[in-house]
Amino acid sequence: MSDEKRYLKLHLIVLALVVIAELIGTKSYKLGPGTIVLLPMLYALLLGLLTGPKFLKIIDKEDMNAAEGLITVSVMLLMAKYGTNIGPTLPLIIKSGPALILQEFGNLGTVLLGMPFALLLGLRREAIGATFSIAREPNLAIISDMYGLDSPEGRGVMGVYVAGTVFGSIFFGLFAGFAATALPLHPYALAMASGVGSASMMSAAVGALVEIFPNMAEEITALGAASNLATGADGVYMSIFMALPMCEWLYRKLIRDRAEEVIKG
Amino acid sequence: MKLSLKDPVVITVIVAILTLVGNFVGYKIDPITAFPGMLILFLIVIVGMWITKIMPGNLPAVVYVSLLGIILTMPWFPLGEKVAELTSQVNFLALTTPILGYAGISLGKDLDSFKKNGLRIVVVAIFVFVGTYLGSAVIAHTVLKLTGQI
Repeated sequence: MSDEKRYLKLHLIVLALVVIAELIGTKSYKLGPGTIVLLPMLYALLLGLLTGPKFLKIIDKEDMNAAEGLITVSVMLLMAKYGTNIGPTLPLIIKSGPALILQEFGNLGTVLLGMPFALLLGLRREAIGATFSIAREPNLAIISDMYGLDSPEGRGVMGVYVAGTVFGSIFFGLFAGFAATALPLHPYALAMASGVGSASMMSAAVGALVEIFPNMAEEITALGAASNLATGADGVYMSIFMALPMCEWLYRKLIRDRAEEVIKG
Repeated sequence: MKLSLKDPVVITVIVAILTLVGNFVGYKIDPITAFPGMLILFLIVIVGMWITKIMPGNLPAVVYVSLLGIILTMPWFPLGEKVAELTSQVNFLALTTPILGYAGISLGKDLDSFKKNGLRIVVVAIFVFVGTYLGSAVIAHTVLKLTGQI
């Protein structure tokens, strides 16, 4: 098959995937304090997977490699859209206090807590993609751009992305409720922490907090939304300039320490 | 010059068309209404990719593309409000569906390694989520306390 025909075939398959996925539409199910949200993009991912040689056999190995190359370009429109979402809210982000800005660095907790556990569980380069962020769309774009999605780093970010898409909001709903009742942290601080950079995860966490502190409902909702906007604005830059370099550094350090231990026996 | 289906500009046009279809099917915004906003996003991408090529420092294109989007919609930018209004006709989720379609197709070749890592990745995801939440909450609590707000 010529290259041109191969690309035409891929685009037509994706057209079909988009139409089917959007026809099914967003579905959400209440479960405990959180909600499970199923989005069209998730159906597109799973249906795309089904076209493969293991299932429907519509595409072959070379088609898959070609599709890989298309992802990096296709994310660009999303990044442009992302920018246009942030622009109008800049004044609010600037106005929000020092706590709101400084707690953004707390998002690096993904690296500090995630990386050691990922390595303990036996992941290697996958750990970098898996732990530098909570793996939402902009983070996928970054890894796709810097390492490629077919790299180990790409598999790591894809794995956490799929996990987060399927049960992220239910997890944050449950965990925020747990943190609010079990930890000595102020509800305002927990509200700011809820802005992890995903509207559905933030809504689930804030929902749980409001349930527990109904007399602070307004403040909690406002702080959660503002923090989510801040993460939306700085997330890409934080990921590229801080979280990824930190991941690379911690990865090298931990892997070396372990190698030395093995040698010393 | 013969335009190839592999050219980034051509791929961007195709993804834009796929998105307009999804935007119509899923979010009931007809392609004519969404067209001006999509054209703006397309131009941001093209200019952003061009800036990436001419700028020193090897920063990924996503930095310049998103930065252009921010600048064009800031309240201080004369046409900011208009640009934001037009691009809001292109649903955020509609843009994600085609990307995940391509990703799903290419994911097939990683299926075995994902199966191998599947459960471990889910456990890592939980630590990642807890890490970002607790990291932010502890810093926010400390700063609020130090600045005397709680």
